[in-house]
This record gives sequence, structure tokens and C-alpha cells, in this order.
Amino acid sequence: MIPVVTACWDVKFKGTMMKRPKLNMKTFSFTCIFVCLAAPVAWAQTPEQVVKAKVEMASAVARPNSVVRAAVVVEVVPGYHINDHHPSLNYLIPTEVKLEPNPQVTGQDITYPKGEPKKFAFSDALLSVYQGTVRVDVALQLERKTPPGNYEVKGQLGYQACNDHACLPPASVPLLFSFKVVRRGAPARASQ
Amino acid sequence: MDLNEPEGPAGGEGPGQPEAGGKVSRLARRGKVLIGAVLAVILVSGLYLVNRYWIAPALRTQAMSGGDHPDAPPISLTDIGGKKLDLADYKGKVVVLDFWATWCGPCRIEIPGLVEMQDKYASQGFSVIGISLDDEPGSVVEFYKEFKMNYPVAVGNPRVGELYGGIFGLPTTFLIGRDGRIYAKHTGATNPAVIENEVQQLLAMSPTAENMSFKPGMTAGTASKIELGDPAAIDSEIPGLNLTKLTATQKETLKKQLGELKCSCGCNLSVLKCRQVDRACRFSLKVAKEQMEKILKSGV
Repeated sequence: MIPVVTACWDVKFKGTMMKRPKLNMKTFSFTCIFVCLAAPVAWAQTPEQVVKAKVEMASAVARPNSVVRAAVVVEVVPGYHINDHHPSLNYLIPTEVKLEPNPQVTGQDITYPKGEPKKFAFSDALLSVYQGTVRVDVALQLERKTPPGNYEVKGQLGYQACNDHACLPPASVPLLFSFKVVRRGAPARASQ
Repeated sequence: MDLNEPEGPAGGEGPGQPEAGGKVSRLARRGKVLIGAVLAVILVSGLYLVNRYWIAPALRTQAMSGGDHPDAPPISLTDIGGKKLDLADYKGKVVVLDFWATWCGPCRIEIPGLVEMQDKYASQGFSVIGISLDDEPGSVVEFYKEFKMNYPVAVGNPRVGELYGGIFGLPTTFLIGRDGRIYAKHTGATNPAVIENEVQQLLAMSPTAENMSFKPGMTAGTASKIELGDPAAIDSEIPGLNLTKLTATQKETLKKQLGELKCSCGCNLSVLKCRQVDRACRFSLKVAKEQMEKILKSGV
């Protein structure tokens, strides 16, 4: 902490004709807090979970025979990437959303974003990958005679992550699509 | 130092220039805050760099030299050619044990270097052993042919990985000496020259005594601390927990408690069930360890 105290105490200000400033507690506190907050970040090790995913429902309420829309928001921690759903090379494991069968869902449409072409130390070719935050759109077609009630469709996001010099084993994140089915003609308002 | 000194607006300026003095004082305060912040950033960055490039490598060197070379855990598998692959049969040889997978890009750039090393040093009592973490051997056999691999390769299982401390990044390479001890571990693609240097050091050592002068290569941050798994925890009825310190009653209590707790990983299972079906789940492992500690502390 010595350099910080010195910074608050002994700084000379050009052109202000000031005496040597006294210890400014605000500055001192600020720098102490800053260092205390920043230090753990600086020493942080490789994160345990490099991919997080959550489901965002476009609407929490649906009617029988309608389409329930949602997005799987995937966050990949900086420094890592996961493969495109259509990977550039045949040996790479694709990112994939898989849904468990549900008797009330008669069809599904999953739309993946286009990957970003990136160059990595371990490949001569550009690889199409997902980095940062990406959204996978999911549309579920409901059965014509779905009875009113609360429903949950389970699924998982499968991925395989790498950084520039190492790869992590394939992993998955569980997903849960929750929605309420109301009678035809009932107001389509979300109820929590 | 008077910590309660009120902050005066003039900051030592004369009474004849109150406006200019106030401005200067404000500027000075802002300047102090700014400079303090900049110095703090420099300090933190400096500490980070010192830690990364000086302290951490030194600690790793310390950890991996001078008597901290654990015995390599046993491996007994069948290689992709159908032959028995037992690490015990390699005692007296220097072994590069490489955990890899066909879907791993960095492994693909490292393997040609290992093939060359096998060619170069096999006659001196050296072998590479590849443990693939692929699910099935079909793609491994194809890869073996494509990359003209000239050393034994087997498809591993979770237990082998756990015995070697858990394989969290691929490739992970262990350097095993003639005495059967692990001298170095590298996580991530490593410069072949670094591994070759380590192999040369180990080839020069006595087959019976621990090589205290071994110096692991330190490039690109791939050298890692050697931490092995605890067989009692790996083979436990609650995977990951060494239950040998618990009494029979405590074991039953723990199982009951873990059976009632829901795992927070999203699997919708109890912590106990999650431990049993997904050994890699860190959420259930953390909770299970905490519960076991509580029971051990309570002594009931």
C-alpha cells in the first residue's frame, strides 16, 4: 500500500503554486477500495463455468395450437469460444439446443446465429465460432388440444469450449421453457 | 496526520484570491483523485504481471522440483488395437502421458511433435502413451491412422482422469520419470521443445532415485501444479468424497441429508443422485463436501 499512500501525499501539481498537499482521505479511501476490488479480479483464475445459458420467453402465456417463442441466451466468458452449430471442420463438436419430447409440443424450430470467423493458434483455417453473448431462437408448436395449465419443456444446451491453447471436455447446461396455456379467447396476459 | 481535519476550500491560498484559490483547490483535488486512481491501476497491473510472470512460475517450479514428485497413479486399459495397456509395464522408461481428444484443435497441433519424439527417443527407453477422452474408439482409430501415430493409444474413462487430478483442459501432458514419478504437467498445447527438454532431463536420470535437479519448462503458462486425485474419494459410494473418516451412522446421515437436498446445477436431482450420475458436477461436489465437513465437525 506504500505507493498508494505516497500517491495521495507527495504529488506535486505543476503551475498551481500549492504547498505539498496533506493526505486526502477521500483519495486515500478511493484508491484503497479500488485496489481491494481490483486485486481479486487481477488474480482470478480460469473460471469454472465458461458458458452460461438462460431461457427468455417471448411470452409467458400461449393458446392451444399456437407457437411459443423463446430465446436461449448463451454467454461465453471472454477468452473462450464455442463452436458454431455448423462447425467449420468436421471433427469439431457443434453447439446444439436439444429439447426433451413433450406430448403438448408437436413441432420445434431452432434457429442458430451465424458464427464469427476467427483465427486461432491451433488452426490454419478460420473457424466459425460463438464468442460473447449469442441468442438461439426456439419456436415450439403446441398441440391443437393442449389443455389450459402450466407447462415446462426441458432441454439442454450442448457445447464444447476452447481457448487459444486448450479445450474443455464437452458439457451441457440444462434449459427450462416455462409457459402457461390459456383457453382460446382468454386474454393473453402474462401472470406471474 | 489529522484525519478529522476539515477540507478547506482555499487549500493554503491567500485570502486575496478566493475564486482562483477555490478553482485551483478543486482542480488539485480532482488531480489527486485522478493520479491516485492511475497509480492504483499501475500498482494492480504491476502486481498482476509480477504474479503471473515471476511469483507463479517460481511457485510452480518450487512445487514441481525438489521432492514433490508423486507416483504416477496406475493405469490399466485396453488400447485401440485390443492390447493390454498397463502403465506399470513402463517402469524404467520415461513416459509422456498425453490426455487428448480428436475434437480438440490444440491436441492436433501437439501430436505430430509427440510422434517425432517417439521416433527419436524410443530406443533410449522412452514412450508416449495417449489417453483419448473421446466417447468411442471409432474416431480415435481413424485419427491414429491419419496422424501416423506410432505409440500406444487407449480410450480413457472418467476414473483415469480423476486419478490424475481431473483433466479440465486438453491436451494435458504428464512427464513421468524412469522411477514412475510425475515430474511435470502441462495443460494446453505446449511447445514441443519444452517437452523434449524435459524428456532429455528425465532420460539422463537414475532409474531408481528421485531426480531432485529436474527443472520443468515454463512457457506460455502451460506448466501446472501436479495435484492427483484421492482414490478413496474416486471409488467412494458418494463419488468425490472420502468417507473413510465417517462412522457408519455418519455415512447414513450424510446420505440422507444429500438425498434431501436439491442440486443447484439445474439437473433437478438430489445432491446425492447428482453426485452418482454426474461425477463432474462441481455444484453437487461442493455441497456434499460442506455437508460432510459439518457432520465431521459436529462429531455426531
